[in-house]
Amino acid sequence: MDALTGRTSHDSVFLELTRSICPVCRRSLDAEVQARAGRVFLRKRCPQHGEFEALVYGDAERYVEIQRYNKPGERPLRLQTEVVEGCPRDCGICPEHKQHSCLGIIEVNSGCNLDCPICFAESGTGHQPDGFSLSLEQVEGMLDAFVEAEGEPEAIQLSGGEPSIHPEILDMLAAAKARGIKLVMLNTNGIRLARDPRFAPALARVGVHVYLQFDGFKDSTQLAIRGRLLQREKLRALDRCAAAGVGVSLAAAIERGINDDEVGAIVRFGVEHPAVTGVFFQPVTHSGRFLDFDPLERLTNSDVIEAVARQLPEWFREDDFVPVPCCSPTCRAATYALYDGQDLVPLPRLVDVDDYLDYVTNRAVPDLDVRTALEGLFSASAAGGTERTGERLECVACGVGLPAELQQVAARGFMVVVQDFQDPYTLDVRKLRKCCVAEIVPDGRLIPFCAYNSVGYREQVRTQLSEAARNGVQ
Amino acid sequence: MSTGPSLETLLGLEPGGCCASAYDSPAVRWLLGDELHPGGDELSRRLAGLSGIEPGGRVLDVASGRGRTARLLASEIGAEVTGIELSPQSVAAAQVEADAAGLAGRVRFLAGDAAVLPAPSGAFDAVVCECALCLFADKDDALAEMRRVLRPGGVVAISDVTGEAGQLPAALLGPAGQVACLADALPLDGYQALLDRAGFEPLAAESHDGALATLAERVEDRLRAARILVGATEYATAIAEAIELVRVARRAIAAGELGYGLFIARRPALANVRPPRLRSAAGTVEGA
Repeated sequence: MDALTGRTSHDSVFLELTRSICPVCRRSLDAEVQARAGRVFLRKRCPQHGEFEALVYGDAERYVEIQRYNKPGERPLRLQTEVVEGCPRDCGICPEHKQHSCLGIIEVNSGCNLDCPICFAESGTGHQPDGFSLSLEQVEGMLDAFVEAEGEPEAIQLSGGEPSIHPEILDMLAAAKARGIKLVMLNTNGIRLARDPRFAPALARVGVHVYLQFDGFKDSTQLAIRGRLLQREKLRALDRCAAAGVGVSLAAAIERGINDDEVGAIVRFGVEHPAVTGVFFQPVTHSGRFLDFDPLERLTNSDVIEAVARQLPEWFREDDFVPVPCCSPTCRAATYALYDGQDLVPLPRLVDVDDYLDYVTNRAVPDLDVRTALEGLFSASAAGGTERTGERLECVACGVGLPAELQQVAARGFMVVVQDFQDPYTLDVRKLRKCCVAEIVPDGRLIPFCAYNSVGYREQVRTQLSEAARNGVQ
Repeated sequence: MSTGPSLETLLGLEPGGCCASAYDSPAVRWLLGDELHPGGDELSRRLAGLSGIEPGGRVLDVASGRGRTARLLASEIGAEVTGIELSPQSVAAAQVEADAAGLAGRVRFLAGDAAVLPAPSGAFDAVVCECALCLFADKDDALAEMRRVLRPGGVVAISDVTGEAGQLPAALLGPAGQVACLADALPLDGYQALLDRAGFEPLAAESHDGALATLAERVEDRLRAARILVGATEYATAIAEAIELVRVARRAIAAGELGYGLFIARRPALANVRPPRLRSAAGTVEGA
């Protein structure tokens, strides 16, 4: 308290006013983004359910600093919905959305061969009274909707449930390839890859990149996140991919106190394994099944970046991770690295990325082709080890004058991504409107991924699909 | 197994040759970056600011390399800059770059030796010398020359590697260490003593050890990138040797045995004449 005036100070810096939802009743609410004690929180109050506060970024200085990486979005070729109720209730994409979709996701089923305690898709092995499994025809229609919206889509991921157990999965992947989508990914737990020796070669023939759930090495990690010990199956799946020539990105769900001490070991393992071309870290989303947690102690992007730098100081600094400009820069960060299976040098040590990806400071960009290539690399549509990524890395390496031979090495760069998805506690429509990861649903809407998981769209779609499935059976 | 080219060959060092040739080698320029000295443009600006270089000021850059700082002083401050550099290739390249930047009238480069500067006495308001003094065989001669070409009251601005050469790890004192300004490094007060002996009045001295640490890290990163590139070829041994050398240097920097310093000093306005002191109307010394 000021002794003279009697006024007291707030304990936080009020950064932004935005909109969010009540995590209980999901109604739309005003929300404040605040910096306090070096971290960033989202705070909101529901007239019925009271006050909610969640940690959204672990490093307030970085949060403010990286806003300059916010690239102006691009309009998609086609919108699917109109503005009626206001963000985030008109998703589809509506005219207020600020970005096209770099990455489309199609969940082909709800059935799974695991029952992960953290599943945001509420999938599982048991007989599900309300489950669904899309037909090839439905998926083709969704792919067409994606192509209509994007023209030439960069990347699609088929997910689930567990998409590898869908009987028509290979045809679905081939249908995506046939539409010219450059990067076609299969998001899988790897169990089929491990058990079915024909599956990896079949994926290789279609030209699929595998996005393999891979959360760490400790038994406690496996049990907490997946409910089963899966290390041997993961290794067998990876070895089969290596033998078949299928590139793999490891996708690690990271949770504070469970496996945040394993991020360095996961990167090191990936660098050493011949099939692995990158690692995606995702702080665990507290949507769907995984609701029992403290929103003030959740893990954020900056915490994961800090952990990687702390656990691998010989390879990484925090500033090697570049905020991804196509979405909100606080949603995703990525780096590429030259590597030879033993040592690793992050590309930002050789290229001053900041010179190219600053969209707020008014300064000249040294080379616009290099900027375009960097934008393609630091985007939700990129994965390590793919042809497209290689071309772009080579373009950057050439544009900044790396020695010719080094350009070839750079083109095989290892990618590390940190991607924080939002949940009903952290949902911020300011970020949501810039979201470039779209859940494609059977009626052809493209729903921003975090809205899909947080606002109630997932439940709506599942109910519709389940009813359709029941009616179909009758 | 073939031993492959030595580290010295990779750095462009000829036996008995001079360090300036190393700074012309593409490998060294790629390792150090276009700025070629710790702290880069930012520290050059700091040095210029502390020296009081003004628009139209006549500046001599001793060991001007490819002319980056000369261009910076001309374009950002508006100084008239002459760069002197031992390597004729660098002189030619620097002039081409300055002309391309539209600075032809304000920046020129001459080939010459720091021990015998090709410039008339008293011709400059400031002399800058970045990360080069410790390369000169006779530092007293070099400073005497700098003093000669300065007008009375002119300022000399030096940045260089600091350290107690006698206490540095032996690995750093070889030819590659010489290129990196390490073998002949002086402690902070060593530079002060040199300037004092040459008849300069000290104005400012600053430590910028972090700038050296950053540059050393950059060099190690790039050498590691090069090692990934060359794999198990004949170059592997020399690159491994260089990486080890940089690591020894980085440890020395972290331990405070090696650093980087900035020194600003003035040639006294006129010999044996004190600068006039202002007197107030009452006749007492102001501020007394």
